[in-house]
Amino acid sequence: MAQAPASQRQLPRFLTYHGIPLWRNIVIIQWTAQIVSAVVVVALVAWFFTNIGNAIQERDIPYGFSFLSREYQTPIGEHFIPYESSDTFLYALGVAFTNTLIVSVAGVVLATLLGIFIGVARLSNNWLVAKLATVYIEFFRNVPLLVQLLFWFFIFLTLPPVREGYVIGGLFYINNGGLSMPWPIPSNIGLGLAWVGIAVVGLIAGMLVDKRLTARETLTGKPAYPFISGIAAVAAIWLVGWILLTIIGGDSPFSVSTPEPQGRFGRIEGGFTARAGLLILLLGLVIYTSAFIGEIVRAGIQSVGRGQTEAARALGLSPVDTLRRVIFPQALRVIIPPLISQCLNLTKNSSLGGAVGYTDLTNVAVTMTQTAPAVSIFMLIMAGYLAMSLAWSLVGNIYNRAIQFGGRSRL
Amino acid sequence: MTANAAPAPDHMPPPRSEVGVIGWLSKNLFSGWFNTILTLISGAGIALALIFGLIWVFRDAEWGVIAQLGGRFIIGQYNTDLACPGNNCFWRPQASLMLVVALLGMVWGMTRDDVARNVALAVGIAAAAFAFLPYGFDKMGIDVRLLLLANLPALAIGWALARYTPLGTGMRVSIAGVVIFILTLLLLRGVSWLPGMQPVSVIYWGGLMINLILAVAGITLSLPIGIALALGRRSRLPVVKILCVGFIEIFRGVPLITLLFMSQVLIPLVFPENFPLNSLARAGIIITLFSAAYMAENIRGGLQALHPGQAEAARALGLAGWQTILFISLPQAIRNVIPAIVGQFIGLFKDTSLVYIIAMLDIVETGRTFILGNPEFLANAREMFVFLAVVFWIFTYGMSYISGRIEDKMGVGRR
Repeated sequence: MAQAPASQRQLPRFLTYHGIPLWRNIVIIQWTAQIVSAVVVVALVAWFFTNIGNAIQERDIPYGFSFLSREYQTPIGEHFIPYESSDTFLYALGVAFTNTLIVSVAGVVLATLLGIFIGVARLSNNWLVAKLATVYIEFFRNVPLLVQLLFWFFIFLTLPPVREGYVIGGLFYINNGGLSMPWPIPSNIGLGLAWVGIAVVGLIAGMLVDKRLTARETLTGKPAYPFISGIAAVAAIWLVGWILLTIIGGDSPFSVSTPEPQGRFGRIEGGFTARAGLLILLLGLVIYTSAFIGEIVRAGIQSVGRGQTEAARALGLSPVDTLRRVIFPQALRVIIPPLISQCLNLTKNSSLGGAVGYTDLTNVAVTMTQTAPAVSIFMLIMAGYLAMSLAWSLVGNIYNRAIQFGGRSRL
Repeated sequence: MTANAAPAPDHMPPPRSEVGVIGWLSKNLFSGWFNTILTLISGAGIALALIFGLIWVFRDAEWGVIAQLGGRFIIGQYNTDLACPGNNCFWRPQASLMLVVALLGMVWGMTRDDVARNVALAVGIAAAAFAFLPYGFDKMGIDVRLLLLANLPALAIGWALARYTPLGTGMRVSIAGVVIFILTLLLLRGVSWLPGMQPVSVIYWGGLMINLILAVAGITLSLPIGIALALGRRSRLPVVKILCVGFIEIFRGVPLITLLFMSQVLIPLVFPENFPLNSLARAGIIITLFSAAYMAENIRGGLQALHPGQAEAARALGLAGWQTILFISLPQAIRNVIPAIVGQFIGLFKDTSLVYIIAMLDIVETGRTFILGNPEFLANAREMFVFLAVVFWIFTYGMSYISGRIEDKMGVGRR
């Protein structure tokens, strides 16, 4: 039997654990580290909140959440759901949250489309196009979003007023108030919703047709025109749905409302008017984020081996089909995770709306702190942003898992 | 004889349409009808943009608005009567600049590396070149110009110090960097009992100076904090892990300007009423923590990409846990994610423009408030923001240039 070292044998029992001195025992060290760090953090947080609590009492600062049911009494410049100054703080926060949500979703969709275009252009065989995309990316990625937003903001500010604004084809009105355009208006809610439902069904059916015909084409080797057939199916379902609803409801589901200048000041009625704040914020966010997404798409496409392109071309696929059916499905696995983080960034960057006159969540919250307790408001909007981040991560991760699994199983 | 016969096929020169200018053009621009259309469209677009851009830059644009603000872009209201009675504080930002240039010279002298040389020379020469701005001497005195020119000797002194004295080791130059950063802050803030160094409140600091101070502080501090958070997030200890994950996710989930505004409202409540924590320090802390949360995720990516065999081999060789992390895992992990880290630094520099939310007049806010305060310049706003975009672009592009060269040297992406 090997003898334990003398120093250990002499140690009193309470200084050892399983025969190892406490200060060298990994279990003890780890537990001590955890307890110490937990205590330090808890103490810091407690100190933080005690001090805030004391300051609130000493300096007579309002606190709590009772303000939420009070009337906000302040107008909100841009709102997509009905809002009156007499609505409560809680409702006003909801309005601001919707504003941020709408600009984020619209921004993500547009930035992704533009970003894919830029990323593909960057890898174009055409030297000029590739260089142009590179310059776009290197410029817009490296200039702060705030500078870009303010540039567009002051451009809009120097546009002519409504009465002298630019008119394009009698349909689009551009002036310092924003952009007015024709917009579909449902003749009544039921018919409108019914047609939207039919439209979604049509899209799904079109995708199914495309998939089925592609499978047949792959199996038989005879051209089945999947993409054209899919589009034809979508168009047919939309048209039939439209005609059926018109017959059943006695009125077409949607009518197009065009903007018309009214009265002495040329105020524009009808159509949809995107106010300057929304337009500028969207423009800035889309251009800025698309530069980042372009780089992500380029990296994703480059991560697919060259052999894949060569093999696809050798099999006779057209360049478009090579990209759509071979390269992109594989590149998506690399693209999706950083793309999700760009969606998160875009959502958070929409908090710059205040600088260009868009009433996003942060902007409304900053205004609210003048009449309501700041601590409570910030807790609420932090929760709001965290919820949006979580939602993006969730959507992205579900999609990510779907393409990973599908991609592998088809191999 | 046979010399006149046709040469063997593999000795024939390639056809003229495959080489030279024509070959390049037909390969890269005019291969097929689709490519030709693309070339024509984008070529026309570029030509139009260039023509109108050049006409605007050289004829229509009124760059007077930039000249009007001049030094306020660099130091804000630092040398105004409000901040510094007597307007004799101008030398302090300039002395700070000289210290920084000298530090760059030291880095060049120490590494004798061409990237360091290019950066040091570019900054030094650009600073000296400002001495020749076409202002009248009443607006920009001879003293200011001389101090700007003194950046060149400062560069030379820094270089010589690192080259010919024992100062030229990596450790000592790093220490010199920290000392110079603190010295810079002291110089700018002032010391009440020293003649000529009257304190200048940070509310008068402004311009590019603020962006650079915040960026440098944020960059140097966010990397170690981010490394600590990344290691904590990968720790086997549940309490440490939960704390780090919580910190990272909260700071990553909320926009920076919300955090900045919150810091302005909350931090005065946390500390006693006369606690000396000014707006610049607050902004610096928030920007650093925000950036550290993102940095942690970058580093975690690098650690995850590392083959576990590296750590196992290190442990098998008898290295302790901390030695494995410090000498084996981290160097490789960081090397692998240098592009992401530099991207984060660039993001941090761009984010310093968000301090407008706490009423700090950084370079962007200086321009914006000037335009809003002087409506006669409203039409010149585009000149202003084009200028600001170019200023930011120079810095951020410089950062990605340096990172690209470092990556080349370290062989990132190659094994």
